[in-house]
Amino acid sequence: MPTDSGQATYLEAVGLALDSEMDRDPDVFIIGEDVGQFGGAFKVTKGFLEKFGPRRVVDTPIAETGFTGLAAGAALVGLRPVVEFQFADFISCAFDPIVNVLARHHWRTGDPMPVTMRAPFGGRLRAGPTHSQSVESYFAHVPGLKIVMPGTPEDAAGLLVSSIRDNNPTLYLENKYLYRRLRASGPLSLEPIPLGVAKVVREGRDVSLITYSAGVSQGLEIAEELDKDGISVEVVDVRTLVPLDVETIVNSVRKTSRAVVLHEAAKRMGYGAEIAATIQEEAFWHLDQPVVRIGARNTPTPTSPPLEDAVIPQPAEIAEILRKVARA
Amino acid sequence: MPARTRKKADESGGVAVGDRDPALLRRIHEVMVLTRAVEDRMVAMYKGGDLLGSLYTGHWHEAISVGAASTLRPDDYLAPIHRDLGAHLWRGMEPWQVMASFMGKATSPTGGRDGTLHYGRLDLGVYNLPSHIPANFPVATGMAFASKYREQDRVCLAFCGDGSTSRADFHESLTMASVLKLPNVFVIENNQFAYSTPLRMQSNSETFAIKAVAYGIPGVTVDGTDALAVHDAVAEGVARARAGEGPSIVEGVTMRMHGHAEHDSADYVPKDMYDEWSKKDPVELFENVLIEAGVIDAAAAKKVREDAKQFAIAARRKALADPMPEPSGIEDGVYAD
Repeated sequence: MPTDSGQATYLEAVGLALDSEMDRDPDVFIIGEDVGQFGGAFKVTKGFLEKFGPRRVVDTPIAETGFTGLAAGAALVGLRPVVEFQFADFISCAFDPIVNVLARHHWRTGDPMPVTMRAPFGGRLRAGPTHSQSVESYFAHVPGLKIVMPGTPEDAAGLLVSSIRDNNPTLYLENKYLYRRLRASGPLSLEPIPLGVAKVVREGRDVSLITYSAGVSQGLEIAEELDKDGISVEVVDVRTLVPLDVETIVNSVRKTSRAVVLHEAAKRMGYGAEIAATIQEEAFWHLDQPVVRIGARNTPTPTSPPLEDAVIPQPAEIAEILRKVARA
Repeated sequence: MPARTRKKADESGGVAVGDRDPALLRRIHEVMVLTRAVEDRMVAMYKGGDLLGSLYTGHWHEAISVGAASTLRPDDYLAPIHRDLGAHLWRGMEPWQVMASFMGKATSPTGGRDGTLHYGRLDLGVYNLPSHIPANFPVATGMAFASKYREQDRVCLAFCGDGSTSRADFHESLTMASVLKLPNVFVIENNQFAYSTPLRMQSNSETFAIKAVAYGIPGVTVDGTDALAVHDAVAEGVARARAGEGPSIVEGVTMRMHGHAEHDSADYVPKDMYDEWSKKDPVELFENVLIEAGVIDAAAAKKVREDAKQFAIAARRKALADPMPEPSGIEDGVYAD
């Protein structure tokens, strides 16, 4: 079982929050491929089977539609399933139950649908076109889903707690590049962090960097670098795409008058387009510059390092854009 | 576990009434007759322009729908499809509310947000399915899973058509349910056509029940126009599920006597098929069985039909008079609190 070392990794934070919610609520269970005896492909649920038993830690056949729909049925009659997709790439196999069953059921009927779907996503692990995808935009268009994308171990814990307690289908996207790269700066709080509340993670004057997930730690590092050149970057962690905390984003842009939106998903129709459009609707007259979007190139994610690095936004490129926007 | 085809219990072609509870038999009969009366009324409503879109009916599915649903306890779960008005009515669904659903009325179970065949009510233990049938199958495994999780002995009965068996949901649900030994019974309503696609273009399997062999569970094919044959086969599956022995398949063979929906003239159906199957009206057949067995007499049967007709007429009157929904709160409830 995960124990909090006082410097939990992002991955351990996910496990600790899940463990805590399963302790707290007997209706919470985890279901997915290899989550039981194997402890999950990334080991988030290592030790869960021993602690909670096969009733609450459910290994499944390779049947994403099957177990996602099963979660819907279990939730309808009062359980609170947590579904693990082994990779977010495989979530396409469950598109139908997510979009047509989970997302619209409450609006159609008034019945709650408390299903949390955990999915490791994203690139930089040289895993190629069908093991590296960012899937948030597919689902952000669908009314009825919440989309949670933590960028720190602390948020990974608190936002998972909230997702599990939420009465809606929630897509909780774990950035697998961060799993063992980020550590908490102290013992984790397992208190819920409300969905729909963005966080200014670094105050700044010259430009707002609006981002989420891996963009947060990446943005903070770049902001420190730019600070040496006298450029003050404010970093806003959106944390949840749906619901979106428009107020925090807009307040930041009103202050800095410049905005750059960053994610590792493809730029075209990426969630940054929604954020950029929202900023121009809500804060157009405060802007000194057009809102700039940074995202991956519009190609599948390549495997080979030089190719993948050419597709996913790199720190130097992000820094250059921030510098340009801040000084323009 | 080989798939079976159930033999007729007697020469007269129908499973024998035997020493069954007459009250249960009469109730099955009444709900079958009501199902037919409501659907006939709704066909007239469709033709008269009362309804919004198309109308999906279950003519010749009454024996499957009611025969199967009547095996359940009130606390069991049900995941029916659009041919299963009979199962809904068995659970206590109001005919006027079904009509209201096909009219987009505020009084439909979804308040007009969804409509037509999407009128399932969870308070009756019935899942309200989307259009992507058999999307109700995975959900049915989840309801069964919850029962097992809570160490209850509730069962979930799910229905699909012959066409549904081709989809991934079907295979994944049967796989999940059989591996996890879930208390499900899956009823396949083989009505010869999936929209315009005939059986031979839908499946290369000899029967649909035979698919059970691949999942290591029992599968049985029964005459889907014989309410008692369906009832017995499903009751066996329900007992097995309740005892913790896992899921099973029951295939009821019948005919879709109307088009896919009422807009569909179904010209692709050979006329001799209709001629042949018109001799096997499940409602008439069951009425005859009950009369022959002395459970009801001809006068009682006539009264059941007349009451059902009047009930359907009254339901139409209420549904017509009900208000349309207000659009003001349309964004409410996209998310639950």
